[in-house]
Order: sequence, then structure tokens, then C-alpha cells
Amino acid sequence: MLLCDFHIHTSYSDGSVGLRRTVDLFGQAGFDVIAITDHVVNGDNPFGKLANRLKFSVTEDSFRPYMSHIAEEAERAWDRYGMLVIPGVEITKNSFSSNKAAHLLLIDIKEFIPASWNYEKIFLEAKKQDALIVACHPHRTSEKSFIDTLFLWNNRDRYGKYIDAWEIANRDDVFNVISLKKYPYIAGSDFHRVRHLYSWKSLLNCKKETASVKQCIRSNWGVAITLFRN
Amino acid sequence: MVLFWILGGVILSGLIIYCLQILAVRSALSPARDRGAQSVLSGSFPAISILKPLKGLEDNLFGNLESFCVQDYPQYEVIFSLQDENDPAHKVARKIKEKFADRPISIVVERGHHGLNPKVNNLFSAYQHSKYPVILISDSNVMVDPNYLRTIAKPMDDPEVGLVCNLIRGIGGKTLGSIFENLHLNSFILGNICFLDKYFRIPCVVGKSMLMRKSDLEAIGGLRSVKDVLAEDHFIGEKIRGQEQKVVISDYLINNINEYWGLQKFINRHVRWGKMRWKIGGVKYLLELTINPVFTACLPLLLFGPNRKTLSILALVCFMKMIGDFYLAKRISAAMHPLIYLFSPIKDFLIGLIWFVPFADDTVVWRGNRYLMSKDTRLSPCPERGGEWKYKIVEGIKAKLAW
Repeated sequence: MLLCDFHIHTSYSDGSVGLRRTVDLFGQAGFDVIAITDHVVNGDNPFGKLANRLKFSVTEDSFRPYMSHIAEEAERAWDRYGMLVIPGVEITKNSFSSNKAAHLLLIDIKEFIPASWNYEKIFLEAKKQDALIVACHPHRTSEKSFIDTLFLWNNRDRYGKYIDAWEIANRDDVFNVISLKKYPYIAGSDFHRVRHLYSWKSLLNCKKETASVKQCIRSNWGVAITLFRN
Repeated sequence: MVLFWILGGVILSGLIIYCLQILAVRSALSPARDRGAQSVLSGSFPAISILKPLKGLEDNLFGNLESFCVQDYPQYEVIFSLQDENDPAHKVARKIKEKFADRPISIVVERGHHGLNPKVNNLFSAYQHSKYPVILISDSNVMVDPNYLRTIAKPMDDPEVGLVCNLIRGIGGKTLGSIFENLHLNSFILGNICFLDKYFRIPCVVGKSMLMRKSDLEAIGGLRSVKDVLAEDHFIGEKIRGQEQKVVISDYLINNINEYWGLQKFINRHVRWGKMRWKIGGVKYLLELTINPVFTACLPLLLFGPNRKTLSILALVCFMKMIGDFYLAKRISAAMHPLIYLFSPIKDFLIGLIWFVPFADDTVVWRGNRYLMSKDTRLSPCPERGGEWKYKIVEGIKAKLAW
């Protein structure tokens, strides 16, 4: 089984660890597949404006350097650790209301997708790029300082068809509703700090290739989760 | 006033010893010895089995293990041993084995219950699996250069040498706990090892790297003889010396990479090491406080209150210690940013407080197990009843300090 983490932030957005060090941290710990998913924040509300001003977001301008840096690190990670690094982003639609907030992982993205687009447009563009779409922390979390992101869960009948997988576990939280609905699932650390390395992870039974990884998650066949502890 | 001058004398003697430690480190790493190290290209190189007991993820684990698989040495094997195949280090070991598929690397997973020391338990299976006459017991948290084996094997040309161990250099340091750890390794630990070796001919064996012949280990009773002591490295060294063989500290500095330690881990380790030194050294352990000039320089401040004299003494001692620690780190190429050395006196003060713990508590927690430790670090199972309140308080404080 491949040990994977598909939800990782670096200092390109609000992570505290730089990209290179993040790759080393996961490589040194024996991971097989990781996805770098820095925030792309909507700039159409005060939250988003602040995030953009504080450079806690990948923007259209920084997207190319971000992607080329990931490509460079992916090559190094493969040579040194035999670890597959997939580029991605976390589309971050923040709001003061939990019911209007949503975060989406787009894994293996190729072109920039703004978070200010409407949901349909984001989903269709992501599908066009053959990116894997994951609804992250879709239910209530234990994180007190965090506004829950319930929009996608509350609107699952409308948007569920676009979503390839749901995060059934995020860092220390487990969302049993995903299990009850029998949705395809993965788990990720939502890595922002070094200590988040020890959290929920995904295990995949597939080849260590981007296409196989995406196929495995979409088909929800050979997927397991594990609480990675030292 | 008499007490003030006594304390002044203690502080001064601490500073003098600290200067002697710096001189001892300089001497241990002198250019003459560096030149000697270049002769490692020639000589006899016995086949070596490297025994690597693994437990959990150390900082830089992949890089540490990898560095032992790329040694420029004629004949050697690497054996990774674990107690549990679900250990996260198992995955890293397998990846290393895959990466260096052409090298003689084995992974042994066996839950052994030979004794109470978990590291020795872990070593038994690796030892039984080893095929060469010389073994290197090496911790998983060290990283070395490709010429490491050649350098440490050189003293083995002398048949009177029974054990070769190494000096340690702490590098990395991205969190407070790891900064403290590296500061401590590169000053107190390194300084004392060199000091005792140079002036008293007492080699301190640190288990991070121990090279010895199997025949010599068997002559002292094998791993079985140290299965129930915590300081197995110290007693292997002592027993080998007891066989009229030399224990040599190689001038090769091995890297101990500590990057993401929490403060709790730093405190845990030095409480454990302090307890071991107390159980081994007895009254000699009392002298340790006097070689912590920062801590002793705090005592006049506490006893006589803040005034020009007490504050000046403390400031001067802290300044000297920061400069000295920075110099030592530069000397061993392990220097961090100069401002980091502002933490040096704080670390010394914390170590001074930790010094008292062994008098109050005989238990140790290591690799997830709790033991009672008696003389010579002999372990026995910790009783389940009685005195739990003490552990609860300690555990409560540790939980608060955890990340």
C-alpha cells in the first residue's frame, strides 16, 4: 500500500514550512505520494482580500512559479526518496458563515483556477484539466479557531456529482457522515506545521503514478485510511 | 560574605573547567589528527556488520540510513532491526532497501523479550543475523560521510583496541527543543567527553556509534550481559576496558541531526541521561552542577538579590558561555546563527534545574516503557501501585509542555 497525504500547505500560502523542507520532511518519513495543495483564496470578501494581502494565497501571478517549483521538487523527491509529488491547490471559498464556506482540493491541476468563480465553473474547468476534485473538511471540525466549511455538504445533492472524493478524515478529525453516505473518501493532514505530519493519512493500493493514484481514488477501490503516529 | 566568595570560587572553577573543555576539544580535533585521518586510505579493513536498531521516526531518518548504505568501504553489510513491522521506521527501511537494491541490506523484524533494555532487545536479532567478525552498533539518528567506516576502522589495526566510539556533533535545529539539544551536544556533552579523555584518560562511550569485534563482545558476556541496564554503551565500554583492551574515541565527528524536537523531548532525554549519570557516577554526579557556570552564577542573584555585583557576574558568565559555545560550534562546523547562542544560558539554566530531578525520581521512560532504575542503571519493571501521584504530576507537566 502506498502511504499518501493529499492535503499539504507550504509557505506559498499559510503553511509555516517552505516547499523544499516540506518535501524533505515527508520524504524522510517514508511517504510514497504527496500532493502540494496551497490555498487559492477568493478575493471577493474581506477574508479573501486579507489573505491575498498577507500573501496567504497562490494568485494568478504566482501560479506559474509555484507550479514550476513543485515540478522541480517533484523531480528531486522522485530521485532521492522515490516519492511522487503531485501539484494541486485548495480552492478556498471563505465566508463568515459556515454554511457558505467551502474548501476544495484540486489535485493534478494544470492551469490556474480562480476561487472567485462560481462552483459549476470551477468544477467544469477542473474536470477539463482532469484534476481530482476533493471536498475537504466537509463537516464540523474540532478546530475552534476555524469556521467550518459546510457548504458542499449541505449542497451535496447538487454538487456531489462533480466531487471525486470527500475527506473522511482531516488531521485529527473524522467525519462519519462520509462513511454513512458511502461516498468515495481519502484522508489528509491539512499540513501547515511540522507537527501535522502525525495525523490521518490515505493508503492506496495502486501504482505509484499520478494517473493510477487518481483512478484509485475515483473508483474508491483499494483505499484505506490510517492514523500516522510516531 | 563568605558564602558569596565561596560561590564566586565555584563559578570561577566552572569557567576554568569550561576553558579546559574548549582546549580539550581543540586538541581532539587538531590539524595533526586531521592529517592522520588522511591515512585511512591504506591499512587493513575488516568486514563489518552495521547493526541499526530502529524505533520510530527520527529527524532525517531516510538521510541517516542512506548515509550508511553509501560507505566507501570494501566489505560491509547493513542490518536494520525492528521490533514491530507497523513501526513507521519499517517503511523507511524498506524504501532504503529498494533504493540500494544492489547493496547487502537486510531488515529483521522480531519482537524480542531478552531483557528490559528495548534497544538491546532490538539488537539481539540483528546481531544473530550478522555475518562479519566486526560489528558496528549505530543509532538511527546519526548521519555520516562516505569515509566514516574507513576512519573508524583504522584504530582496529591495533589488536589491543577493543572498542572505537565517536564524538557527536548536533546539527539542524529548527525548533526550540532541537536548538537546545544541539547547543547541549556541542558544548556540555562534547566538551566533557574530550575533557575526561584528555585529562583523565577516561573514554566516555556514547552508544551512537560503537565498533567492536564480536569476539571481544562475546568475551564480556555478549549483549546478554547488558540486557537489563539502561546505559548499555557505558558498560560495554567498561567491560572491554576491564579485559585490558583499549577504548578509543575516534576524532571522526558523527552528525546527530535534531531538527524538530519539542521542548518536552529535550527535557525527557536529559532527565534520563542525568538519572543514568547519577546511578553510574554516584557522588561524582554532584560535581556536575559546579561545571555549569551559568546555573551557579544564578545562585548569588537568588541568595543576595539583584544588585550590581550579582547581575554583573551573571551577565559576564552568560556572555563568556555564549562566546565559548559559539566558538566550539564553529570549531566543529556546527555553528547556527550567532543570535541562537542567546539561548545558550537559558539552556544551561534549564539543565541546572534538570540536574536535581534524579534525586527525586528513580523511574525512567524510554521508548514507551517505564522502568525503575537502580545502581549502575540496572532496570526493573516499574510497580503498578504506589507513587503514581508522582508520575501523574510529572506527566501532567510534560503534557502541558508538549507541542
